Amino acid sequence: MASGTALVPSSAARLEIYGRGGEASARCYQCATCSSVCELATEDHTFPRRQMLWTQWGLRDRLAGDPGIWLCHQCNDCTVRCPRDARPGDIMQVARGMAIEELAFPRFVGHLVGRARTTWVLLLGIPFLFWTLLVYLHNGLTPAAGGDWAYAEIVPHWMIYSVYFPTFFVLAGVPALVGASRAWKKWGEGRKRAGSFVTNLIAVLTEIVVHRRFGKCGVGKGRKWGHFFIFWGFILAAVTSGFLVVWLYAYDLELPLFSYRCPGAAGPTCHLPLDNWMKIMGNIGAVSLVLGGVLILINRLSPGQPAGKSMAFDNLLLAVVLLVIATGVGAEVGRLVLNPGVAMWIYIVHLSSVLCLFLSVPYSKFAHMVYRTLALVHERMVTAAKS
Amino acid sequence: MDKIGLFVCTGCEIGKAIDVDALEEAGRDKGAKQFVKHACLCNPEGVALIQKAIDGGEVDAVAIAACSNRAKVAEFSFDRTKTPVERIALREQVVWTHPGGEEDTQMLAADLVRMGVAKVGRMTLPKKLDDTLDDTVLVVGGGLAGLTAANAAAGMGHPVVLVEKGEQLGGYMAGLKDVLPETPPYDRLHSNTVAALVKEVEASKQIKVLTRGTIKSITGQPGMFEVSLEANGVAQSFKAGAIVQATGSRPYDATKLGHLGYGKSPNVLTAQELDAQLGAGALKRPSDGKLPGRVLFVQCAGSRDANHLPYCSSECCATTLRQVAAIHRDHPEIECAVVYKDMRAPGQLEHFYLAVQSKPNSLFARGTIDEVQVKGDGLCARVKDSILGDELQLDADLVVLAVGMCPNSADGEAIRQVRDAKARIAKNESEEQVRQGKETVDKLGHHEGTEILNLVYRQGPDLPVLRYAFPDSHYICFPYETRRTGVYAAGTVRAPMDAAQATEDGFGAAMKAVQCISAAKRSEAVHPRAGDIGVAEFFLQRCTQCKRCTEECPFGTLNEDVKGTPEYNPWRCRRCGICLGSCPERIISFPDYSVDAIATAIKAMEVPDETEEKPRILAFLCENDALPALDEAAARGMKWNPWIRVIPVRCLGAINTVWIADSLSSGVDGVLMLGCKSGDDYQCHYIRGSELCKTRMTNVRETLSRLTLEPERVQIHEIGRNEFARIPEIFDAFAETITSVGPNPYKGF
Repeated sequence: MASGTALVPSSAARLEIYGRGGEASARCYQCATCSSVCELATEDHTFPRRQMLWTQWGLRDRLAGDPGIWLCHQCNDCTVRCPRDARPGDIMQVARGMAIEELAFPRFVGHLVGRARTTWVLLLGIPFLFWTLLVYLHNGLTPAAGGDWAYAEIVPHWMIYSVYFPTFFVLAGVPALVGASRAWKKWGEGRKRAGSFVTNLIAVLTEIVVHRRFGKCGVGKGRKWGHFFIFWGFILAAVTSGFLVVWLYAYDLELPLFSYRCPGAAGPTCHLPLDNWMKIMGNIGAVSLVLGGVLILINRLSPGQPAGKSMAFDNLLLAVVLLVIATGVGAEVGRLVLNPGVAMWIYIVHLSSVLCLFLSVPYSKFAHMVYRTLALVHERMVTAAKS
Repeated sequence: MDKIGLFVCTGCEIGKAIDVDALEEAGRDKGAKQFVKHACLCNPEGVALIQKAIDGGEVDAVAIAACSNRAKVAEFSFDRTKTPVERIALREQVVWTHPGGEEDTQMLAADLVRMGVAKVGRMTLPKKLDDTLDDTVLVVGGGLAGLTAANAAAGMGHPVVLVEKGEQLGGYMAGLKDVLPETPPYDRLHSNTVAALVKEVEASKQIKVLTRGTIKSITGQPGMFEVSLEANGVAQSFKAGAIVQATGSRPYDATKLGHLGYGKSPNVLTAQELDAQLGAGALKRPSDGKLPGRVLFVQCAGSRDANHLPYCSSECCATTLRQVAAIHRDHPEIECAVVYKDMRAPGQLEHFYLAVQSKPNSLFARGTIDEVQVKGDGLCARVKDSILGDELQLDADLVVLAVGMCPNSADGEAIRQVRDAKARIAKNESEEQVRQGKETVDKLGHHEGTEILNLVYRQGPDLPVLRYAFPDSHYICFPYETRRTGVYAAGTVRAPMDAAQATEDGFGAAMKAVQCISAAKRSEAVHPRAGDIGVAEFFLQRCTQCKRCTEECPFGTLNEDVKGTPEYNPWRCRRCGICLGSCPERIISFPDYSVDAIATAIKAMEVPDETEEKPRILAFLCENDALPALDEAAARGMKWNPWIRVIPVRCLGAINTVWIADSLSSGVDGVLMLGCKSGDDYQCHYIRGSELCKTRMTNVRETLSRLTLEPERVQIHEIGRNEFARIPEIFDAFAETITSVGPNPYKGF
């Protein structure tokens, strides 16, 4: 590319990237070992060598605006093989954090989550105070339930719907869509795409459900299963919730599969028995989540694991997810063994961590769900346009 | 020699492959008086057998028909001052490379025996040189390499005279505060120890230091150089046995780098100018005296550039690393951007490179900078060829040009040409000569006045230089060696290098100088013919003063008297035999290598007549690379045509053309010559031998055409020591050529 204008390197941007955890990249001498050992880099989206170069020159926009960083699954094959210990994997991680912050709408929330090292108290605390307040207003934090009690007696269903529906579909959904469209536009600059978005999306989702690309990782292979179980655990949890809604509100229709009747009651006011398929499904999801969470923790904590360097931004997502899992399972078990006054607090923490998780979808590391999927679609369409 | 003993070994399968008894007749035919065969000649019993025959006076020359002269050297090391010895390589040249029991193989063995016996019969005994030789080592140049050489030579017990042009010792290194790491962990700057070395040298009783010194003249030869010089205004003269030239280098002239901003802005410095700032602890922008925010280091400034220095100076990268480390130690906030084409950090310096690069304010990036522009207060460079694919615009407050090294050498041969040209002009013999003389003076006149050693040698007052003005002699095999025996180059005058290498060079050159003096005392040649005690003999009554020998000797061995008669300096001689090859009168010979001895060997060959359809080919193989390659091919069981007879020669340049004429007139069908590579990247162990041979053979081919002989009958091939597989290829292809050309028409005359 011989152009009249030249790129202007920025020392400030370089130092910023170093400050976010990419300082090892100063050691890179561009041997390209990283790119050649990477199983996921493609002809059109080579990484992580060029990201190392962009970092050294302080070309922030290039780094954050690159779709290639999303194709990376953080296997860290590159970091392990790097002859100079320049940790290319760290740069990919830092770059994604920067991209999420940059694409965020509104941007200030992006910055707020981006600086999780100092803002995590707010990010977790506000939802907790919110829920505590709601429950206080409802029952003064003194549940009157007894016997075979249900959480609906402490927090009614309508309250849950009215918090999570707008949160998920508006407060998280709209910014996620805005971010996605910003990314899609940026990546498309100077690049031709071909084929149908929907067809390619379906193809990508089929890859994702089996974690095909994740499986290509070398040294970081163990991380695949942690992600796999949490991924499916959440899906099962979500699907189970959906079925439960059907059971609750189509109770009178006596649909097949949803034909369980509460003994001695006119409506769905009882607990499903443990051998009900919906209960089984939900519990499989819970087991899967716990398993995934444990695997990820083992991976992070065992010495010599090439998980890459974790920054507060990365740890935030992990912490919230683990909190959701722990309090979810804790609440289920707590209903059976604890009195409502104590179990309520587990439930409140659970509700607030789920709220935090939902709200941070477009701003936290959770946003990879949107951007990685989109980047995989983009990559397929670019490849198609070339052939 | 008239009592030749022929000792044949039957071991190593020789006895199985050929009829050894039949060789007796071949030997006796050429004058062997004794024939002895032994199953293992190289064992103590076999060796004792030969030694007894010598001691008992039964034989006065020995031909050993066994293995190559490169094998069993220690076993067959008889006193050559008393008995000439010739080795006949039956093992390598016959039984390992040809099928046993065949007529052609037997004929080959018999021919080699005839040739070897005939040759040893014509050898004479070497006379040992004797003179009073001096132990002093003269070291020219008081920088790091010179200081190290002086210290090392003194440590080996030699008196040393160290001459320095400047007022103080220490050279460039003396001005540096920090130096590159030379001990583990190699990741930080070390403090400079040159001052301590200077003190040690100055305190040494063995070393005489002469500052502000210039050499007026050096005459003589190794072991007996006469040095006249002036130091601190006082003239003095003394004897020296060997010389180390460590005159260092100077940075490339940055005023030629205007495109990189030098001279256009005071804020563009050379690495040496930055060193001066850092040495004084005063890093600043010259324009305003402030600290720079970003320093841009431009690597390869004027290096690896066809318009400037085409070569890599190999140490500028390390210098930059050293400077970046020093800046970051004192001012970590300053950004140091280093733009390089390739980064070199030889040896352990890789650790240092990594440590320097790891600092957050280091920016090491690949790219080229064609231009540095002055932009207001600052500077601006455009970086091309970055791996990014885009150009970059890099602003800087200070630009440092990492310029290359130019040796402080003098081109002895050019100065000599100027002097000769001036003499011709003064003589004014013909208009043409005057015109040519003036042309030479115009072209090379600037070399005059650059003299360093002022050698009083016919071939010029200083070391001959090679490309880029570095003095050199076969750097692969003989580092420090120059083309003037007894003079050794060390440090950056020899090749661009860093301080660690210069130190190593100082030691190496000192050891070579000491080795040279001790070899001279034993009357022995230095490498590659180390240990050879035979010197050339000139039968001057027949000399026609053609000056070919004095011109062609690669080592400046020969001076000339006023008439142009050669004056031989045996201690300068490396015994390559190039003079022997050059002499049209054939008056130069060595005791064991003479025109007569080889010619006799050639004539001793039996050349079957045309009707037998057995062509004969003579192959002259250089002993340095071609012959070892042949031995290697033989050891690997390669086979080749049996018509070929090999004669080892000291160098392709040591082939006298009369041998070609002799061969062809005695009916030999073709002549092959195998030697080292010639040209700019020559491999010739005597620098010019293979090139001279090529020139001489061009004339031979012209003569062949006049005699209506096909020029294909004479071929030269260049071969490396590692190219042994080509030996059978070359031999067989040449045999085919000879078959197609047909028999030599002069056969039988």
